[in-house]
Amino acid sequence: MVLSTRLLTKRYGSLTAVEDLDLEVGAGELFGFLGPNGAGKTTTIKMLVGLLRPTSGNARVAGIDIAAEPEAAKALIGYVPDAATLYDKLSAREFLEFSGDLYHVERRLRDRRITALLKLFDLQERGDDFLSGYSRGMRQKVSLAAALLHDPQVLFLDEPTVGLDPQSARQMKDILQDFCREGKTVFFSTHILEIAERMCTRLAIINHGRLVAMGTLQDLRHMVGQDGQTLEQVFLELTGSREEDVSAVLRGLES
Amino acid sequence: MASKAKPGAGALEGLALGLLLWRVQLQMFINQTIRSRQAGRIAGTIAGAAVILLAWSWEGFITWLGVQATHRVPLRVDAIHVLSLAFLAYTGVLVFSSLVFSLNALLLNPDLDMLLAAPRSVESVLASRMVVQVLRLFLLSLLFTAPALLLLAIVNGNPLIPLAFAMLFLLYPVFVVVIISLMSLLLVRIIPVGRGREVLTLFGVALAIGINLANFLLNPALRDPSFTRHPGVASSLPDIPAASSSWLPSGWAGRSGAAVLGGDWLLAGQWVLVLLAASVAIFAAGSVLSGRLYMAGWIQAVPPRRRHAAPRVRRLKGAVPLLSPVLAAVVIKDWRMRTRDLAQLVRFVMPVVFIFIIFGLRFPRVLSAVRGLGGGPPAAMIGLIPAWILLFSLSISLGLSAVSLEGKSFWVYAASPNSTLRFLQAKCWSTALPTASVVALAALAAEIIIRPGWLWAVTAVLLAIAEAAAVTTLMVGIGAVFARFDWTDARRMMHPVGVFIGMGLFSIISGVSALLLVISIALAAVTRFPLFTTWLAALTIAVGGAIAVAALGILFGNQHLRGLEVG
Repeated sequence: MVLSTRLLTKRYGSLTAVEDLDLEVGAGELFGFLGPNGAGKTTTIKMLVGLLRPTSGNARVAGIDIAAEPEAAKALIGYVPDAATLYDKLSAREFLEFSGDLYHVERRLRDRRITALLKLFDLQERGDDFLSGYSRGMRQKVSLAAALLHDPQVLFLDEPTVGLDPQSARQMKDILQDFCREGKTVFFSTHILEIAERMCTRLAIINHGRLVAMGTLQDLRHMVGQDGQTLEQVFLELTGSREEDVSAVLRGLES
Repeated sequence: MASKAKPGAGALEGLALGLLLWRVQLQMFINQTIRSRQAGRIAGTIAGAAVILLAWSWEGFITWLGVQATHRVPLRVDAIHVLSLAFLAYTGVLVFSSLVFSLNALLLNPDLDMLLAAPRSVESVLASRMVVQVLRLFLLSLLFTAPALLLLAIVNGNPLIPLAFAMLFLLYPVFVVVIISLMSLLLVRIIPVGRGREVLTLFGVALAIGINLANFLLNPALRDPSFTRHPGVASSLPDIPAASSSWLPSGWAGRSGAAVLGGDWLLAGQWVLVLLAASVAIFAAGSVLSGRLYMAGWIQAVPPRRRHAAPRVRRLKGAVPLLSPVLAAVVIKDWRMRTRDLAQLVRFVMPVVFIFIIFGLRFPRVLSAVRGLGGGPPAAMIGLIPAWILLFSLSISLGLSAVSLEGKSFWVYAASPNSTLRFLQAKCWSTALPTASVVALAALAAEIIIRPGWLWAVTAVLLAIAEAAAVTTLMVGIGAVFARFDWTDARRMMHPVGVFIGMGLFSIISGVSALLLVISIALAAVTRFPLFTTWLAALTIAVGGAIAVAALGILFGNQHLRGLEVG
C-alpha cells in the first residue's frame, strides 16, 4: 500500500476532528475522500501531508511514517491545499522555481519541467505575471503545477476543482488520470460528487471524523443496499443528510 | 445600484448605516478583547487600559501644573490663535488619517462588496464609511484630551466645557473626511487592482517624512537660534498666522473654543452653528457626489497590471554563491518579496531616510563636535552611532518579521522535505546579509568622515558587521518564537511581545558592548596595557556574547517551529 493510516486520530481539546481512521490506498489509485462540511477531510489531509500532528495513531506514505520521518515522507508527496495561499509578489515561474528548489529538483530539470507545466496548464503567456493578478482558478493551477514539479509518488488535493471553470476542471481531471496511469496515487477531497463518481477508482466517506464507508462505488451501493443509485444518493444515505428536514426549515421561513 | 431618492436621503440613510457599522465594529472590538475568553487578550486589554489611565493621570497633572502656573505668573495668551493653531495642526492628522482610512475602506476591506450587495444605495454605503471615520476621530480626540477638558471644567467651575469641546471634536473632522473621501474615490480610479497596499504605504511614508520634516523645521527646540520668529508669538510655539482666519474652519473652531473657555456662550454657540451648517452641507453634498463618482466608474476601470519580465540573463537564476539550493531559494524569494512589496521595501528604506533627516540636516554641527574629540577609540565608537540606529531599525523590522513574512504561505515550506533549522538558517541569511551590509556601509562612511585613525576605524567597522549579523540572527530567533502566520496587513506581522523582547535584548547587547569598550579604554589607562590589546579583547567578548545570545535565540525559535502545526 502506498498510503495507509492506522487508528489516526486528531483532537483539539474536547473536540475530536478525526477518530480512529483506518485507510489503505494502493499505487495507481485515484482515491476520493468525501464528507460533509466539517467532517474532518481537511484535518485528515493535513495529517497525511505532515502539517498537523496526529493525537494518536499513525500514517504511512510508501511505508514511511510521516510523523517519525517527515522529511523523507514529504519528498514523496505533492500537496494542493483548498485555498492555496501563494506568494503574491512572485510570478508563477518564480514561484515554481522556488518550489522546485524546496523539493531539491536539479536546476536544469526544474526549468524544463516548469516550462512544460506552464504549457500544460495554459499559463505560459502569464508565467511572468505576479500571482497577485491571478484568478482563483489560475492560482489553483499554479498550486497543482508546484505540487507536480518534483514528480511525487502521492498527490494530495483538497477540493482541487473549486474555482475552476469547466474547461480547467476537465483539464485537471485528465492530468490526474494520466498521473495515476503512471502508477502514482492521487488522494483528493471534494464536494462535487459527480466528479468523484466519474474519476475515482475507490472512495471513502467520512462523517463527524469517523470513516463511514470505503470501497468502489459499487461496494458503497451494496452497503446501502440499493444498486443503481448515484453517488449523491449513496452519500446522503451514509451521512444521514435528510432532504425533508431542509424542506421543513424552508417552509418554516416562509410562514 | 444608483439611488433615485431625493438629495439628502442618501446622507440620512448613510448616517443610520454608519451608526450600524459603528455598533458592529464596537461589538467586534469587545468580542476580540474582554469577551474573547483568551487570557492573553484580556490581559492585553487590561494592560492597555492601565496605560491609558496612566497617560490620563499624567496629562491631568500637566494641565493642573499649567493652570497653577497661569495663576501665579499671568500670561497674555491669544487663546483664539493658539486654539486655531491646534485645530489646524489637527487638520494635518485628519488628512492623513482619513486618506489611509478611506483608501483602506475602498481598496482593502473585503466588506465593501458585502455592503454594496445589500439593498442600500451607493451614496448611503459611502456616506456610512464617512460617518464611521468621523466617529472614530471623535473618540480618538476625546481619548487624548478628556483629562485636560475635565480639569479645565473643574478649575473654571463650568461642567459644560467638556461637552462644548466634544461638540467641536465631532463637527470639525466632517469637512476633512468628506473632502478626502471624494479625493480617494478619484484616486482609486488610477490605482490598479491589487496595488492598494503600496499606495497606502506611500502615504504612510509621506506622513512619516512630513511629520519629521515639520518637526525639524517648526520645532523651536531643533531650530537654529538665528531663525527670526513672527512677533507676538510665544517662543515655545510654531506660528502659522492664517490659522485663525475667520474664513477657515480652524478659525471657527478656535473662536468657539476660546469663547467657551472665556465663558461667552453666545459667541461660542454662533461659531459652532457656523461649523455645524458647513458640516451638514458638505456631508449632504459629499454623499451625493461620492455616489456619482462611484457610479461613474471605479477601480474596475483599471485592469490588473501586466508585467514585462526582465530578460532572462538579468533575472536571479536561483543560485547564491556558497548557499545550498534550498537556502538560496528562500533567500531569493524573500529578497523578491521584500523589494517588490512597497510595504516591505519601506521597512528597509525608512531607517536610511530618518538617518538622513536626523544627521544629514544637522551634519556640519555634529561633525565639528565629533572632530573635536580627536582620534582614537572614543571617536571611533561615536562614529558607530548612525550604524547602530540603522541596526536597531533594520534588525527589528527585517529580523523579527523574517519568519512571519511567510504568512499563510508557510505551508509551502512546511510541506516540503526540509527541516525547520534549515528554514531558520535561510531566514538568517536573508536578513543578516542586507542588514550587515547597510550597517557596514554606514559605519564605514562615518569612520571615513570622522577619521579616528585607520586601526580604530577598521576594528569599529568589523565590530559593527559582526554585531549586526549576530543581533539580526537573534531577532530571527525571537521572530520565530513569536511568529504570526495569519496576518493580512504587513503592519501586524510582528508580535508586540516579540518586539518588546527584541528591543530589550538589543538594548542590553548594545549597552554591554559599549560598556566593555569603555572599560577597555579605562583598563588600558589604569594598567598601562597597550590600548589596542584591551580594545581587541573587549571587541572579542562583545561579539562572542552577542553570537552566544543569537545562537540561543535560534535554538528557541527552532524548538517553537518544530512544535508548530500548520492547521
